[in-house]
Amino acid sequence: MAPLNVIKPSASQNQPRVNGYAFQYRAVDSPVHRMGAGWKLLLGTALCAAAIGGTNPFLLAALLIVNAGYYFLARLSVAELARDLWFFLIQMAVVIVLYMMRYGVPEGIWPGVRTSLRILLFFLPGIILLRTTRISQMMYSMRRILPYRLAFLVFTSLRFIPFFAREVREIAMAQRLRGAHLAPRELLNPRNWQDLMNCLLLPLIIRALKTADEAALSAEARAFGSYPKRSYWNSANYQNSSGKTAAVNDMEIKETL
Amino acid sequence: MTGNTKAMVWKRFNLREAIWLGFCATFIIITRAALMLKLNIPGHAMFFTMFFLILGRGCVQRMGAATLVGLIAGIMCTMLGMGKEGPLLIIKFVLPGIIVDAAALLYSRLAFSIPACVIVGAIAAAFRYATSMGIDWLVEMDYDIMLKKALIGSTMNILFGAAGSALVPLVVRRLKAHGLIS
Repeated sequence: MAPLNVIKPSASQNQPRVNGYAFQYRAVDSPVHRMGAGWKLLLGTALCAAAIGGTNPFLLAALLIVNAGYYFLARLSVAELARDLWFFLIQMAVVIVLYMMRYGVPEGIWPGVRTSLRILLFFLPGIILLRTTRISQMMYSMRRILPYRLAFLVFTSLRFIPFFAREVREIAMAQRLRGAHLAPRELLNPRNWQDLMNCLLLPLIIRALKTADEAALSAEARAFGSYPKRSYWNSANYQNSSGKTAAVNDMEIKETL
Repeated sequence: MTGNTKAMVWKRFNLREAIWLGFCATFIIITRAALMLKLNIPGHAMFFTMFFLILGRGCVQRMGAATLVGLIAGIMCTMLGMGKEGPLLIIKFVLPGIIVDAAALLYSRLAFSIPACVIVGAIAAAFRYATSMGIDWLVEMDYDIMLKKALIGSTMNILFGAAGSALVPLVVRRLKAHGLIS
């Protein structure tokens, strides 16, 4: 059997990435990245519970330090923190203003700061989870939790994202060449929504209905749903030290939930 | 929906219906991802979210169809990190789905009526904010401040949700006229 090509992490993966959007996974090596998704979820739940229970200023300050430590332990930068917290800072301003309107200027500030800080501390562990957990890692954890029929639907839907994204792009491009008003800014005008429906949504939905039919027939031909338990082949578990996949006679079928 | 597959998913949906509902969730994700990068208007994502939630229920006339779309979309959004809420995103998508299913239970021709879709779309979009209100309640925010904050935060969601829902009957009627759904 020919050796498999082992993909080594590139040097650029360890370099900080400046571009990107809030809550986006950042590919660097850190102790938090190496933690299992389940552990991160557990730690996040504990931190969220502490944020809900914490009204004492000292406890809130301690939680803020712990969360900040957790964030920076994941080798995330201040710029990324600012991007992640932008929404919460706006929300904080709104909440403080509402509290000041209700209780007056000096009295309303601390309750407003405290409440918005607790909301921020509630969300921060989840943001760190998203920033440090690869989709595949998340999927692996989800697969252990979800019933297999639901897992099948979720992974089928995920698998078709690139397919339909390409379909949307191609249909939209073809229709725009024919004069349909489908540019994002043009769609802000309700007069163009007819074009959106007739030229993009309807062809896309008809395509999706046909694809659903084909995918269902394909799954049924593979005996989907014939047995209460499902078997799957996880090739990642069957690689020996030289990176080659194990021989077929070493194969085991692992049963999921 | 028409189709001749026999495998069932939870004894309620056949495989084709379940996959179609999964595709509705896929479209929610694609449109959210596309609009997130191109427009900076708060609440605009609700336009397509409500459109595909009600469309799912319109094409698969069974209880739980919109909830399943919401559940799959929520799980996918959580996996792809498309929101600050993490796993709470699932609740944010499931709640509007439950509202749509409940409304369809009360009025079976929901997906064929524009006024009904607009009302249900607006209510379901407002309910999406219930998760945030739940967190505000957990951190002991004052009720009137919580309501004002919800009003500020959900107004655009409601407007876009209602607008997106209004398109559903036009699509469903055409699909039915061409025999693509039963």
